[in-house]
Amino acid sequence: MSDKRLTLKKRLHIIKHHFRGKKMAPAFNAFHTFLFTPDETTHNGSHVRAADDLKRTMNTVIMALVPVLVFSMFNAGYQHYSAINGFPQNFSLMDDFLTWDNFWIGIIKVLPLLVVSYGVGLLVEFIFAVIKGHEVEEGYLVTGMLVPLIVPIDTPLWMLAVAVVFGVVIGKEVFGGTGMNILNPALTIRAFLFFAYPTWMSGDKVWVYQAVERAGGPDAISGETILGYLAQNKGAEMSYSVSDMFFGFIPGSVGETPTFLILLGGLFLIFSKIASWRIMLSAVIGSLVMGLIFNGVVDQGWIGETSKFYGLMSFPFWQHLIVGGLAFGIVYMATDPVTGAQTNRGKWFYGFFIGFLSVMIRVFNPAYPEGVFLAILLMNVFAPTIDHYVVRGNIKRRMKRLKNATILPKDSEGKANELQAETV
Amino acid sequence: MLEHIELFFKSIFIDNMVFAVFLGMCSYLAVSKKVATAVGLGAAVIFVLAVTVPLNWLLDQYLLRDGALVWLGPEYADYNLSFLSFILFIATIATMVQLVEIVVEKFSPSLYNSLGIFLPLIAVNCAILGGSLFMQSRDIQSLGLAFNYGVSSGIGWFLAILAIAAIREKIRYSNVPAPLRGLGITFIITGLMGIGFQSFGGMLTGGDDAAPAPVEETTAEKTKEKKEINKEIDSKEVSYNDAIND
Repeated sequence: MSDKRLTLKKRLHIIKHHFRGKKMAPAFNAFHTFLFTPDETTHNGSHVRAADDLKRTMNTVIMALVPVLVFSMFNAGYQHYSAINGFPQNFSLMDDFLTWDNFWIGIIKVLPLLVVSYGVGLLVEFIFAVIKGHEVEEGYLVTGMLVPLIVPIDTPLWMLAVAVVFGVVIGKEVFGGTGMNILNPALTIRAFLFFAYPTWMSGDKVWVYQAVERAGGPDAISGETILGYLAQNKGAEMSYSVSDMFFGFIPGSVGETPTFLILLGGLFLIFSKIASWRIMLSAVIGSLVMGLIFNGVVDQGWIGETSKFYGLMSFPFWQHLIVGGLAFGIVYMATDPVTGAQTNRGKWFYGFFIGFLSVMIRVFNPAYPEGVFLAILLMNVFAPTIDHYVVRGNIKRRMKRLKNATILPKDSEGKANELQAETV
Repeated sequence: MLEHIELFFKSIFIDNMVFAVFLGMCSYLAVSKKVATAVGLGAAVIFVLAVTVPLNWLLDQYLLRDGALVWLGPEYADYNLSFLSFILFIATIATMVQLVEIVVEKFSPSLYNSLGIFLPLIAVNCAILGGSLFMQSRDIQSLGLAFNYGVSSGIGWFLAILAIAAIREKIRYSNVPAPLRGLGITFIITGLMGIGFQSFGGMLTGGDDAAPAPVEETTAEKTKEKKEINKEIDSKEVSYNDAIND
């Protein structure tokens, strides 16, 4: 068996060398590297020897996303049947949630989104790679996985395809491909969908499979998201408990609900050192601070129950983290190493403002029920500015240190040593 | 106080000169290659707006608008000189820009050189004239608010050019396809930045009444804006006609 695989690998290597320099070579090479490790290494320049390459990084993120995807497939069916039959009285995980019926809805609704996202996105990547004559980059592997998880479940597939083409071409390829883009491509796709087809992206009928068809039925549960309830000051009518929110048995975009699994994925990413813990931590702090401010405003009595902001402002500050897409955005989107801030100190500012602005847009902006994707896009825009000033600050500090070190007085020996120790 | 804060944030983020009304694009696109230069130009724009908007507010209040000349005596009450707005506003702006140019050349020759032709071009920067005209059409109530409006819309423009300059410094090593290099990619970046700034669109528009549906609200806002513009155009036309007939 192993012998046969070896020959297959060898044969592929031979074909690869045969096709070198031909027009379709990048397309072939992509399949080849997807199956096997490339047989060539870089030839010149200085090297850092490390086990992780782009492909392994991307695969790690995908591994962190798989539990969320599987959960979302079950949840699609759970929400669908709950909307028809009402929520089960004594909820049991095995009987009510992890059932084949639920999973089947996931297969017919979530899987097509995933297939379209990967198919269209990788097709665009292949076309660009062939035209531009470079290798197909692995960047789309994560984007293609994220996209189906952040759209409403009833999104028509052609809309998703159009948005993916826009996101990959305008959001990434015009900048030169993976690693060069300024906005997160998955969020660009989400934003395109949101602004181009707003009726399909918000409201109370899009979050549960077939909710539109059921609307107007005698005892149809509308399938409004929690933030939607709160924005209409109808928090009391909500039947979800805090543990429902935390474990994700609530309506929402396909994969944004299971905060618990997202948390596990986030820990996995932190311990594998793929994602920055600084960004995650500071984003959590930022959202808590904003939530506390709003809670404080309500406690002071500055805003009455009739105010349209009351529902969201009085929402306990820490629960902002477990509803909507905040946790998903913080863990998988804000930590994108390409579009985020790249200096350590910059990451604190970048993350803080993502959390801060997400909650602010959520509460204050009546036009959008959810603001996480816009907050991250906005901070993507400002990340280079933050980095620029952090780098400037570092340069200035070092210049000052250098100046202190060079004009040190000759006679005072002790002070000279002290300064020297500091600079070294 | 509250209206000051509201106007401040509104004109920086929601009615951003670049991303909401697309004004001042020429210097925004041309002088955003380096952060240092962009900061210089942005500061100049803030300064010019901060001075010209209140000045033009005074002009508008005591010279131009319908019945503004009443302080000269009751017989001037029905004069309407608002057809002179453009030329008077431009005159104020040109004077101020000349002043800025002299000051910058004296105190920071390196900034003066890097800004080059774009410093005198602030005089015809549409963001500056736009600031004064918006001040007129939005009926800003007091001199303090006019100053606030000038400063904050200048800060909005400054933030925009600062962010795009940093992005352009960052993508200098990107492998942008040859036909898009330079202005092409800058336009695309501006559009993408506009998506980011959409975060604030629709904020601070409603009161404490029942919230209308989100989509309706934005369209309503748009129609309101359109109506405002139409009204503005109508009033302009009327005043021009009056002037011709007189």
